[in-house]
Amino acid sequence: MQLTVNGRVHRVRAEQHATLLEVLRSDLELTGTKLVCDRGECGACTVLLDSVPVYACLTLAAACEGQAITTIEGLAPAGSASLHPLQEAFIRHDAAQCGFCTPGQLLAAAALLERLPDPTDDEIRTGMSGNLCRCGTYPRIVLAVRSAARVLRERAHAP
Amino acid sequence: MPHNPSRGPRPGHDPSAVPAGGRFVTTTVEVEGREETKVVELPDFEPEPWGDDASLTIVGQRVPRVDAVEKVTGRARYTADIVRPRQVYAAIVRATIARGRVTRLDTAPALAIPGVLDAVSAPDLPRPIGAGGVKLFDTTVRYAGQPLAAVCADSETLAHRAARAVIVEYETEPCVVTFHDATAPGAPAIRGTPGNLVRGSPHIAERGDAERGLREADVVVTGEYRTPVALHTALEPHGALAEWDGDRLTVWESTQGIFRTRDQLATAFALPHTGVRVIKEYMGGGFGAKNGAGAHSYAAALLARRLGRPVRCVNDRGGEQTDTGNRPATVQRVSLGAARDGRLTAIVLEAEIPLGIGGWDGGPAAIYHEMYACPNVRTRETFAYVNAGAMSAFRAPGHCEGAFGLERAMDELARALAMDPLELRLRNVAERDQQKDRPYSANHLRECYALGAERFGWPTRRQRGGSDDASMLRRGYGVAAQVWGTGGGPPAYAIVKLESDGTATVLCGTQDLGTGARTVFAQIAAEALGARLADVRVIIGDTERTPYTGNSWGSMTTPSVGPAVRMAAEDARRSLLAAAAQIMGTEARLLEARDSVVRVTGGGAELAFAKIADALGDVMILGRGTRGPNPEHTAIMTFGVQFAEVEVDIETGVVRVIRIVAAHDAGRIINPTLAESQLEGGILQGLGYALFEERVLDRSSGVVLNPTMHDYKIPTIRDTPFIDAFFVPSSDTVANHTGARGLAEPPIIPTAPAIANAVADALGAEVREIPLTPWRVLRARDAGRMTGTRDEGRGTSNSA
Repeated sequence: MQLTVNGRVHRVRAEQHATLLEVLRSDLELTGTKLVCDRGECGACTVLLDSVPVYACLTLAAACEGQAITTIEGLAPAGSASLHPLQEAFIRHDAAQCGFCTPGQLLAAAALLERLPDPTDDEIRTGMSGNLCRCGTYPRIVLAVRSAARVLRERAHAP
Repeated sequence: MPHNPSRGPRPGHDPSAVPAGGRFVTTTVEVEGREETKVVELPDFEPEPWGDDASLTIVGQRVPRVDAVEKVTGRARYTADIVRPRQVYAAIVRATIARGRVTRLDTAPALAIPGVLDAVSAPDLPRPIGAGGVKLFDTTVRYAGQPLAAVCADSETLAHRAARAVIVEYETEPCVVTFHDATAPGAPAIRGTPGNLVRGSPHIAERGDAERGLREADVVVTGEYRTPVALHTALEPHGALAEWDGDRLTVWESTQGIFRTRDQLATAFALPHTGVRVIKEYMGGGFGAKNGAGAHSYAAALLARRLGRPVRCVNDRGGEQTDTGNRPATVQRVSLGAARDGRLTAIVLEAEIPLGIGGWDGGPAAIYHEMYACPNVRTRETFAYVNAGAMSAFRAPGHCEGAFGLERAMDELARALAMDPLELRLRNVAERDQQKDRPYSANHLRECYALGAERFGWPTRRQRGGSDDASMLRRGYGVAAQVWGTGGGPPAYAIVKLESDGTATVLCGTQDLGTGARTVFAQIAAEALGARLADVRVIIGDTERTPYTGNSWGSMTTPSVGPAVRMAAEDARRSLLAAAAQIMGTEARLLEARDSVVRVTGGGAELAFAKIADALGDVMILGRGTRGPNPEHTAIMTFGVQFAEVEVDIETGVVRVIRIVAAHDAGRIINPTLAESQLEGGILQGLGYALFEERVLDRSSGVVLNPTMHDYKIPTIRDTPFIDAFFVPSSDTVANHTGARGLAEPPIIPTAPAIANAVADALGAEVREIPLTPWRVLRARDAGRMTGTRDEGRGTSNSA
């Protein structure tokens, strides 16, 4: 099958029943996407399919052909040394402790801000509620998403 | 049974073989509430303590985590992200019954699947290996989820498929999964101890005369409190990747203790300690469950040796939730006696703890002895084995459970005395460690009460804001306190190398579970060396390349390793200043180092570290740091108070936590942001413990009914209250020369009782069992208003 991941086209030999998570982690060695519950309960494997967040553990790789897949490795602008404003905000607000849920959190947040560029805290909490964290970074995730939203809005309005 | 296989002193270690009077002395170190004697080499020099007036520029700053970029870009590599050439994958076959005997274990159907490479069970082990409270791959089944075999295949998916293909037949025997069933007359003997009690049980500890204390009390309250089995549920499951090179074994492992894991693997495979290298770079949480090698580690190493290929074995979620330890359930029968003015005259606890099939006897009693001033305290803890996964340390083991009983009882006492619950606690602040009759190194608990109450706005008259009768929503306010031993101690070592480019490398064999240890040690080293933070890298988590430090447990890492790192950096700085003095033609005592530059104090000539390194060529300045002994006869504890505001829907029983204010005293705080993150994390885990979390076992089959993250509920971002968590600033220079104590476990301790106290306040009815699921809240509501009536019966098979 042919998958477009982070702007690059990959030819992958994988079984028809292989999940997107297996293909990303094993075939493409994009290990930033994490396996935690393997049944769509925790959000750690969240990636974007044409800007829509999906749980990669519940998504068949074969069903993703022709769509743009974004993983944590592709969140920052390609070829740039700089980070995505969400990544910068997560660092600034200490929104990652062990960091294992962080890639999924960041992609869920990116999708949220795509849909709602100026979310209220309540909308952030709802938008991020499909992503579990056991270390307890939730208060800081709200702060980080709010602050990244502001940066992104300012950039969008910059001349 | 092996006592406490996951803890305790290293086998063979004998401090008594080291007589007094030399360079090597003994000292006591408190580990998870228990004291151990350790040998320590007296340091060559002891740095000046960083007191309250020390002028520090990097320690105490809110710098971002040094590994934050790796974590937000997905570049941080956790155990399951590491791939070695020719690597293959293992999966564990687990028992589906809780008690009985394996009569047939047939791996042939698994091995027949193309791509399946090997299978191992009991006969393939080189020698008996203990794991999770049982013998690895034992054919006698003692809990559902017990490992019976492991299979290995080309892919992880295939390995799990192969595990399901293994045929296991059993002769099932009746199991016991509750304390009551395990200790009832005629109960089956599940591990061969009388009455299924853990050896040495019951544990009785008494100071003063508790009976007299109760007789002399003006008011006595009695209640029975129940806490559930809680599961760590770290996002990253336990996992190991094992690779052999001849007789040398390398294991990448998600562990809180690389050296302990190394020693256990060495014993299992009859290798010298140095024949095993354990590496842990990044780790997705531990919370106490990852303190040594487990079935997955042994299976990976065994299969890797047989196949001559690297083998990775990572638990699936079901295995993680059933077989990696838990916080055991408790029933706590508590009596408190007090004089009319609120001073405690007696504290009595009778506790029953079903441990699971193994684990160590860390019970709820200790906090009953430590928290409050009281001359008469008696506790009796009875630990029983049951046919369920073994307990393991879980963030403040014992204290977290005990605080629920003690702090709920304190609120019932306050009500009986018609006294404000905060006032009652203030009248019983302990000024000394009464159990061992020794002073504290420092104690700012009173300031925690005062500052916390102020920031919370603790109602002076306990009016219930927002109690709109029409809306069915009731507000409630609660408070609870904590104490936890956090002194840390030796042995712990660090090396600081000054590199040829003028930057510095810290080597220490510790672990960063997500706590921020890497960052904390980078700050300490940069401060002590006089380097820019950006010029310091910290290498941890490798038994072969980094010097020894102990497990990251018991909130010990910062106070144990921090002083060693500081001393190593100071040692390196002394050499650096000597070199600079010689180059600059001055005296070292006239020089200071800051921002990676050596300057003449007060202005004048300066020389960058990089220039010094250039001048020295390939000379390498090495600093060596060791953790010295703890002060004698001193209790080193972290204290704290938490306040909770909740909203209870009295129609549906749903509890929403609105606000938590947390004030803690942990000595010097190396990085306030990271430390506050620890407080918030502990509070959120405590919130889960208070409201949602409960492993449910089927009482007849012993099978875990909720081994998923959907059915075992941890808090989500929607459950998160407003949290105001902070530290009362001070430096504890009695504890160690950095002034810092541990702080990661304490915040979970008072969270559940503060929330439960607030729920009781909102309901006007006592709550005595967590988690406070809606049906428990409604039952408490219906049981009446503050009459001291007890919950009757028990609704789940889960607790004792």
